[in-house]
Amino acid sequence: MEADATLQQTDSTAEQIGSADLVVGILAESDSSAIAKMYDALGTLPGPLRIAVLHDDQQQSPATVNSETTLERAFVFQVPSPLAKRDVPATGVASMSETYQSVFAAAEKLQARGCCIVASKLEVATPPWAWRIAQPLFESQADLVLPHYARRKFEGLLNASIIAPMMRALYGKRVNNPMGPDFGVSQRLFQKMLAAKAGGNQLNSMASLTPTALCQNLQIIEVHFGSRVYPATDWSNMSSVLADVLNPVFVDMERNAAFWQRTRVSLPVRAIGEPFPLDQDSSAVDTRAMVDSFQLGNRELQEIWSLVLPPSSLLELRKLSRLPVEQFRMPDELWVRIVYDFALAHRLRTISRDHLLRSMTPLYLGWVASYAHELTLAGTMSPERRLERLSVAYEAGKSYLVSRWRWPDRFNP
Amino acid sequence: MWEQVKQALVDSTARFLTRFANLLPGLAALIIALLLSVVLAWILAAIVRRVLASLHFDERLGQWGFSSLAEWSPMNSPTRLISRSVAALVMISGFLIGIAAFDLDWTYLFVQKMFAYIPDVLAALLVLLVGNVLARFLARSVLIGAVNLNLQYARLLSIGVKWIVIVLAFAMALEHLRIAPGIVELAFGILFGGIVLTLALAVGLSSKDLIGKSLERDVKKASTEPVEDPLRHL
Repeated sequence: MEADATLQQTDSTAEQIGSADLVVGILAESDSSAIAKMYDALGTLPGPLRIAVLHDDQQQSPATVNSETTLERAFVFQVPSPLAKRDVPATGVASMSETYQSVFAAAEKLQARGCCIVASKLEVATPPWAWRIAQPLFESQADLVLPHYARRKFEGLLNASIIAPMMRALYGKRVNNPMGPDFGVSQRLFQKMLAAKAGGNQLNSMASLTPTALCQNLQIIEVHFGSRVYPATDWSNMSSVLADVLNPVFVDMERNAAFWQRTRVSLPVRAIGEPFPLDQDSSAVDTRAMVDSFQLGNRELQEIWSLVLPPSSLLELRKLSRLPVEQFRMPDELWVRIVYDFALAHRLRTISRDHLLRSMTPLYLGWVASYAHELTLAGTMSPERRLERLSVAYEAGKSYLVSRWRWPDRFNP
Repeated sequence: MWEQVKQALVDSTARFLTRFANLLPGLAALIIALLLSVVLAWILAAIVRRVLASLHFDERLGQWGFSSLAEWSPMNSPTRLISRSVAALVMISGFLIGIAAFDLDWTYLFVQKMFAYIPDVLAALLVLLVGNVLARFLARSVLIGAVNLNLQYARLLSIGVKWIVIVLAFAMALEHLRIAPGIVELAFGILFGGIVLTLALAVGLSSKDLIGKSLERDVKKASTEPVEDPLRHL
């Protein structure tokens, strides 16, 4: 219903304003001055370009910046937003996906050559950063532009521990932020996403963008940005976050199994710009609660984990749970096997998918505690080196995944 | 006198033999019905066993969370349990059909009542099955949720929820079977109330210290500067 209303609204908008070269969907919560700055920055881009801006708060933004496009200046105008107005900003992956789909639909109606989505705030805003993410679409014929945020060692942990290294191992491309949330998308790619959705494919427009581009061998470029402003951790809601984020990733993994089983090695993707220097956070992390959570999970969730994990992993977890907090270390090989076994159980529907992903929370917290120990107590290892080691473990463990994926009933000690 | 006694004996024997002769076709029909039902039961049980074995029913049942069903089954095989249940049902039906062949008032009424009772039995079985599935699902949800909230009594909560739903389902099934409904109602009320009270007491007593510590922590927190958690997951 919502999508239909969006499309109808976009139809009438397209009739009124004709076409655009670039559609910019602003999903991030920004104040009026930030929006105005973004409009100004887009207006200073060299023309001739017609840039349509979709923003859900029309009161905050000027109607147009330049009245017409010239060789020197782009024409920036606001489109009555097809984005669903919400009392609470869309945060879940499923609701974000709907919003992304609306931006793609708007870009298609406006016959745009590309669209970009600005969904996060940067610590140091560098206008026109919306253009920086869209530029490779026009100048390098990229199909998907992904952000490479500068990150502190304890930021973006879900991405760093599971999503990015697993996608690297599966699809053979070293992308750092496969789930964005800021993206530049070419006409070719957003048309594929719209067609797949129209064909009844259960694609998640946010989580499936990168896997779709990788499986179709489309050109992907990364752009270096400063650090994102990350939402604070809601510890009471960790399991929902994990289930919400990992479900579409595992669904894509099942859909693209034929592709990733053929991929062997990983290659870096082209990156534009220089990495942003960032002062590393030196504050210590209290890991006691996370290790407690792991130990409680190990004690109480054995009946669930034993349906998913092989006896050798369960034995290692039992040994880990007996370690004192300061000596707690989860080996990368064990963590990788756990993630792969959960992905397989998700595919086989061993138990309810929601139960499965939520029951992974204590294991994830165990990995976070182990990672925090290695970086703070050992002190010498850089986060990049540590995460590179994890990525290599994911690649090394891929043969285990392929074997279990193909023959799930085979004896696995 | 002796003639009268003799006549009475002859009449009684004739009556007995006549009645027995009248029963013989019914008896023969009962034996044939039983034999046929045994053969049919054996064939159906074999078919059910083969179909379920080809579907890997035992393994799948374990995956769906009904692994405990195997413990109640002959040779730890739910497939055998189901195939034998089907065979037993067919044989009971054959017996009832055979009984009905006697063409007596009481056998007719007995069979009629038995058949009228079958929907109640099936409804009760369905209620038990749904109750069991729901109990396991809710118990697992509560267990995972409680572990993720770091509650040390997660297992207790989960078992409590499971038994509340099972007891509820069992009481509903007995209500369907019309077995001493008054007693069942009363017993259920007492048992259900008991479980809730036990849980409340267990949680309340075990969390007394926890609440005290939590309040103490809140007071301490208010007096000290808030420390920002540097971990960012998304």
